[in-house]
Amino acid sequence: MSPQHEHEPPVALPSGNHVDHDNDPSNQTNPAETTTRLAAQGVRLAYDDHVVVEHLDLAVPDGQITVIVGPNACGKSTLLRSLARLLRPSVGRVVLDGEMIQSLPTKEVARRLGLLPQSPIAPEGILVVDLVARGRTPHQKLFQQWSAADERAVRAALAATDTIDLADRPVDELSGGQRQRVWSAMALAQQTELLLLDEPTTFLDITHQVDVLDLVHDLNHEQGRTIVVVLHDLNLACRYAHHIVMMRAGEIVASGVPSDVITAESVRDVFGLDCAVIDDPISGTPLVVPADKRRAARNSAEPQQADR
Amino acid sequence: MTELIARSGESELTSPNAATSSQPGWVDPDSNAPLPLRGAVIRRAGFSVRLDGRSALVCAVLAAFTIAVGLWSISVGDFPIPISDVVATILGNPTEDSEFIVGTLRLPRVLVAIGVGAAFGMSGASFQSLVRNPLGSPDIIGFNYGAALGAVLMIVVWDGSALQVSLGAVLGGLAAAVAVYFLAWKRGVQAYRLVLVCIGAGFAVDAVIDYLITRAEITDVQRAAVWLTGSLNGRSWDEVRTVGGALAVRGPVAIVMQRRLDRLELGDDTAAALGIHVGRAKLALVVVGVGLAALGVAAAGPVAFVAFVSAPIARRLTSSPSACIVPAAFVGALVTVVADLAARRLLAPTELPVGIMTAAIGAPYLLWLLTRQARTGAL
Repeated sequence: MSPQHEHEPPVALPSGNHVDHDNDPSNQTNPAETTTRLAAQGVRLAYDDHVVVEHLDLAVPDGQITVIVGPNACGKSTLLRSLARLLRPSVGRVVLDGEMIQSLPTKEVARRLGLLPQSPIAPEGILVVDLVARGRTPHQKLFQQWSAADERAVRAALAATDTIDLADRPVDELSGGQRQRVWSAMALAQQTELLLLDEPTTFLDITHQVDVLDLVHDLNHEQGRTIVVVLHDLNLACRYAHHIVMMRAGEIVASGVPSDVITAESVRDVFGLDCAVIDDPISGTPLVVPADKRRAARNSAEPQQADR
Repeated sequence: MTELIARSGESELTSPNAATSSQPGWVDPDSNAPLPLRGAVIRRAGFSVRLDGRSALVCAVLAAFTIAVGLWSISVGDFPIPISDVVATILGNPTEDSEFIVGTLRLPRVLVAIGVGAAFGMSGASFQSLVRNPLGSPDIIGFNYGAALGAVLMIVVWDGSALQVSLGAVLGGLAAAVAVYFLAWKRGVQAYRLVLVCIGAGFAVDAVIDYLITRAEITDVQRAAVWLTGSLNGRSWDEVRTVGGALAVRGPVAIVMQRRLDRLELGDDTAAALGIHVGRAKLALVVVGVGLAALGVAAAGPVAFVAFVSAPIARRLTSSPSACIVPAAFVGALVTVVADLAARRLLAPTELPVGIMTAAIGAPYLLWLLTRQARTGAL
């Protein structure tokens, strides 16, 4: 079942290599043991009368990469918006550092928690560096518009996202992948320990998807940031997540380490997709391989990869 | 295994993407070379300000033009006064003739033009940026229809004084703006909805105004008609005070709000994530924008298209990605002063209302914008 056996031992999760990290996934399987700064407690989330999420509890483990997956319209982005206090739960609460997130000053929240929404808008003609500089907003005041710390943070954000060469280019002229990195840089310049990313890889080709997620990994591993990402690609989610949360119709169906959560059964349950789950030959994490209906019909005599 | 370790080890030294460290444009993140930020940074202990040199220059040039055109406008007329006398009068050494003509007739008119233009410019800039569409300016979204209806009601039905007419205009404008936003609002304002709602509202209000006019006394009709086009004819120091007060109170608020407006342009969620109180900021901007436009309308009538064209011109001149509230004020002032001069002198001795001149500039721009937005799919 695992094709990598004859080559070399399975390569662990990127983060699995870093034994110095307290959140080494090999010993962090029990989320109850980890601390959490950000949590949703019994929240109901609704737009007007349309209830998207009901009775949901989620504790974001500190210092880890949490990936939320689920089919379209299952409430992933809604949940993320509520964690970033953009949507007030009609029932329940979101807690940041032990306090109700809605009761904290907006600016104070923005110094601890950053969010990159799904489709931010770049003003016409804005330069990359000016856009990234706007990430410093929560650290600025009317007469502290550009401190030395702002300058350092922007420079570091540009370097981390590899966009420093683009600094004086207009954002309009960039490719999709470059643009996504610039937006990430803006969120980084905010220098928050908690970072929420809503589908940061949408519209990107595979190389840029991996680039963005490598960046997420580095931010977590090197700077110890807690990151929550909404992703569509289950295989990339498994590879990069310490903690994966699977949602369906506004509920959390399963959560934990990817190898426990992503199974053929859970994928069929949640996504309605017949598939096999094998080991990723590179990382050893679960790899979802969709069943081929056409082929199954043709060779019905020979049973294809079973669901288990 | 080795591959991944090598990769992440390298990233500590340079960047997550190993390919670029060798590229020529690579800049050391720890170097002290300034970032290519727009504008200059002035920094003292605990105090730092970003100053946009290009915007400042644009504003200075616009101010110089406005003053020059203003002086010229004061000097020409049926009774020409040399510029030197105009300057002397303004500085407090009037000659016999100039005192009345400059001090009472022409200077207040020019000052009202400047003030109204600036107020419309700022108002337009904040609304357009808030709606993220140039069609969002108060004169396009029906603020003016409403203001006109309010004023005509005052003139025709209640036979109101100048102050009451202004008040009627302000209330009518507010009502129209609220109604249009309410009708066009569905999780944000969509450009096409806004345009359609405005067209509808415009027709409806026009019909009511026509009805009122047909029922009214002929003298009232004349008064209403002049007011409806927007005119600077016969403005006195009263109107100067109205507009000056509006600018003194709301101008600084609008300028302070510019920072928030710039963040709102990134999208509501992004702005909120950056620590902006989105609801509060929007409300404040709407109140300030409506207030500026309303007092402008109260002083000079609904001078068409000044609010609409100012900010786009300002953005082009400064090539700035931000909302350009201050440059838009200077553009608005210059546009109005020039339009008023043209309105007075083009068909002299007949004076046209300034609103006709601004419409002549603004209408083609509106058509161009509509075709462009239709073509690019924004509409």
